[in-house]
Amino acid sequence: MDSKRQDELMQAVEALVFAADQPVKASQIARIIGEVAAEQAPEDKVIESVVARLNARYEAQGTALRIHFWAGGYRMATTEAVAPYLQAFFRGDRGRRLTRPLMETLAIICYRQPATKPEVDHIRGVDSDYALRRLLDYGLIAFAGRAEAIGRPILYATTDRFLEAFGLSDLGALPNLREVEALLGDPSFNQAQARMLMVNGLHDSEGEAL
Amino acid sequence: MYRIQLEKFEGPLDLLLFLIQRDEIDILDIPIARITDEYLGHVRLMETIDLDGVADFLYLASMLISIKVRMLLPQQEEESEPLDPRQELVERLLEYRRYKEAAGRLGMQHDERSRFFTRGEASASEFASMPEHLVNTSTYNLISALRRILVDAPEEPTLAIAAREYSLAELRSFVLEAVAVRGVMSFAVLVRLKSKKFIIGAFLAVLEMAQLGQVVIRAATSENDFLVGPTTANG
Repeated sequence: MDSKRQDELMQAVEALVFAADQPVKASQIARIIGEVAAEQAPEDKVIESVVARLNARYEAQGTALRIHFWAGGYRMATTEAVAPYLQAFFRGDRGRRLTRPLMETLAIICYRQPATKPEVDHIRGVDSDYALRRLLDYGLIAFAGRAEAIGRPILYATTDRFLEAFGLSDLGALPNLREVEALLGDPSFNQAQARMLMVNGLHDSEGEAL
Repeated sequence: MYRIQLEKFEGPLDLLLFLIQRDEIDILDIPIARITDEYLGHVRLMETIDLDGVADFLYLASMLISIKVRMLLPQQEEESEPLDPRQELVERLLEYRRYKEAAGRLGMQHDERSRFFTRGEASASEFASMPEHLVNTSTYNLISALRRILVDAPEEPTLAIAAREYSLAELRSFVLEAVAVRGVMSFAVLVRLKSKKFIIGAFLAVLEMAQLGQVVIRAATSENDFLVGPTTANG
């Protein structure tokens, strides 16, 4: 590829990622470039390497922007170093953090998805109706069909917006849910009792609703 | 009047976990009698302040009391190894604790992410200004629109053709395809010249999909109609 074509490609990728107000997938960028240039769309790998080169250039030039890979797509964001200025600028209009009930509900759904309300209620020991509504309003979770259980309860799953808002490339990037063994990592840990728990409970209770 | 600053607990399991951690109790060997008393003490205090909020805590209180009673009863001789009455409680506590921790880590993840600012929405934690994902017309309006559309709808053709049955699945894909191609559109236009049976079915399909967030319903300028649109179109 000649260097003029290379420059055009970099400019196109940069412009698309800059202008979009949500993560743009490599395949989408490739398709658009192919369409406009009326030629074979470049492979996703090419887009990936262009993004890497853009980031290297931003770094070398000391700009305040970087391209992140969030929710399966590319998203331009400011660097951490300039965060204080932006925090000061947006002070007031910035929404607060999610409350604890919302975080708990979100955590349960994101690790068990798709999950039903009865499942969430059981784990938390409280009614999660309000929390689920808020999370739906915020677009962090969405309906994901219905379970085959009695009453066909609605299933909930996290959205791409959740991945973006939490800076995750995909669900695989979530930190692992701690295993019960680690949770009980103290010397007084009773082996026999632990075995009993393993056999009867936690591990196989993963999949059931109640 | 007196005011008491109570530790804010997210629920009964959260309170119990707090008591266990505060007293450095081994979660696998909970002294039920003592914990039950402490738990009930907290619940009574909460009752004097917020009667509504206390309901969620009563189920666990009864569970604790029942465990306490079973612990006092002599163990029955059985061939299988005796089951610890505390087992279910311990399982639930551990399960809750896993997710509580996960929630904490997710919160940190979110804090980290909010130091990066993006264009478009000013910030990722700006949840307050999310577009409403909703039905902003009342059920009465929807029903009256349906009535109006049905009045205008043709009767079933009298020709000797077997009346066609529609499955809800068929009607769902009919609606989805229509809004995917045409964007937000009038329900009256969507079912124009269709039979009453079809219109009622399509109406039910729209309601169900709106509940599942697959389409959105909006008020139309006329009370005799409403708009159906794909969820992606926010305009």
